[in-house]
Amino acid sequence: MAVAMQVNLGGLTMKNPVTTASGTFAAGREYSAFVDVSALGAVTTKGVSLHGWEGNASPRIAETPSGMLNSIGLQNPGVDHLKEVELPWLASQGATTIVNVSGHSFGEYVAVIEALEEAPVDAYEVNISCPNVDAGGMTIGTDPASVTEVVQRCREATERPLIVKLTPNVTDITEIARAAEAAGADALSLINTLMGMAIDAERRKPLLARVVGGFSGPAVKPVALRLVWECHKAVKIPLLGMGGIASGVDAVEFMLAGATAVAVGTANFYNPTATVEVIAGIADYCERHGVSDVNELIGALEC
Amino acid sequence: MALYNETVQVLSNEKVGPRLYLLTVASPRIASDLEPGQFVHMKVPRMEAHILRRPFSVYACDRERGTLDILYQVVGFGTDHMTSLLPGEECELIGPVGAVWNPPLQGRCLLVGGGVGAAPLFMLCEKLVASEAAVDVVLGAQTNDALVCRSRYAQLLGEEPRCATDDGSYGRAGFCTSLVEEALEEAGAAGAQYDYVAVCGPEPLMKIVADIAFKYDVRCEVSMEKRMACGIGACLSCVVDTTEGKKRACVDGPVFDARKAVW
Repeated sequence: MAVAMQVNLGGLTMKNPVTTASGTFAAGREYSAFVDVSALGAVTTKGVSLHGWEGNASPRIAETPSGMLNSIGLQNPGVDHLKEVELPWLASQGATTIVNVSGHSFGEYVAVIEALEEAPVDAYEVNISCPNVDAGGMTIGTDPASVTEVVQRCREATERPLIVKLTPNVTDITEIARAAEAAGADALSLINTLMGMAIDAERRKPLLARVVGGFSGPAVKPVALRLVWECHKAVKIPLLGMGGIASGVDAVEFMLAGATAVAVGTANFYNPTATVEVIAGIADYCERHGVSDVNELIGALEC
Repeated sequence: MALYNETVQVLSNEKVGPRLYLLTVASPRIASDLEPGQFVHMKVPRMEAHILRRPFSVYACDRERGTLDILYQVVGFGTDHMTSLLPGEECELIGPVGAVWNPPLQGRCLLVGGGVGAAPLFMLCEKLVASEAAVDVVLGAQTNDALVCRSRYAQLLGEEPRCATDDGSYGRAGFCTSLVEEALEEAGAAGAQYDYVAVCGPEPLMKIVADIAFKYDVRCEVSMEKRMACGIGACLSCVVDTTEGKKRACVDGPVFDARKAVW
């Protein structure tokens, strides 16, 4: 039985529900020895700012039980490099491309989008949830008024599908989700990393130079599922679910909780073929359960 | 250059010194392509909650047998767990990864290995011995027991490498940096200065050796080690500060021109 795998994420047609979590897959080229990027539902590129950022001091990562912390700090070479080097490569591979847009100010998010409007981009993901920068990122995504403003301004700058990426580091994620929906978001992606820290007691030192960082990996999956489920009940726009997905069954769990599509993140680091294995695993699940169209899974949790 | 994610089989895994183990794996595809300076990124089996891979330099590579030797030191959970690997078990290796050593293939070269840093220079030494270059080797370790690469170097070179141990149990007592300084001073005085120094070991050692090389105006390369997640250039975890900005230790390095390192 062939399973229909195509989904529509707020106007973005994806040939299957699987993309990459921003920052875990660069712009795909590094993984090209292992993955045909055109086989993915989409490639979501590493967060890009207008003129590029240096990122944080090292050490930038720490392994924690069933997960990891990172404080990369959105290091990127700027939107021109993405436009001139990475996006043409993705286009030449036939990839569907979501660009993760970052900024230190509302105006910078808009400027990045404007710089990309003529480039081969299929959708934007507005990053208002990075925990590793002092301005922009999560500082915007934890305040409903700021969310409203940045999403409205990005909405005015493009007619392309606009995905807004939410942070889990809030008291009530549905309040943020509703604000983004009301301001014109076509879809929401969640979750960005959870704020965490790790300590070397022997040396009385933090394991990360920045002390705190973003927690990801299989350990965060229960939290991510719960937040996807809450947002699914709170908004009408589709959801891109992520947080600890490493297998097809993990992905199906997110779809049952209400996600239309999913992203593979940290798993890419330890298994470079994780994305294609997740796609195959979703299809296998559907076949085992007599599901002819993957869309039947969305929000189909029975409780 | 091709990059593989190869399922490899453990052939042997033996203790060779204090906290030092030699792991040999059958990895025919990576072994056929790997060049001196490159490394492999290993997913160790049965690690359960420890999800990340570990990067390892390669000590020796037998292209005909398709095997890789990895010398590792037990420094934490991952390497401690690795000591339990048994012949026949399977691991996953991404490789070969990274930039290679860039020695001159004629002239004089000095290789300086501190502790397990002796291992990633061995294939470079083999390459130089096979070339028209002259090569000398300085090794340092805490004790004689930890100078586990010495005999292989001696066999390859046809003479003993110059050695120093912290406790004086073999060779010069103290750090091997004094041997480096002497070697460059003598070579300069004899009008046959080295053309190249390669150093691998703890960062403080590499910095001292690089400074000595600069003092005698000799080109120097270092091999950087950082915490790493993807190991293939995507995650930007392992960046090192250089005069050209932040560079990835995994694919822009691990070998860097010492002049560009910002310590």
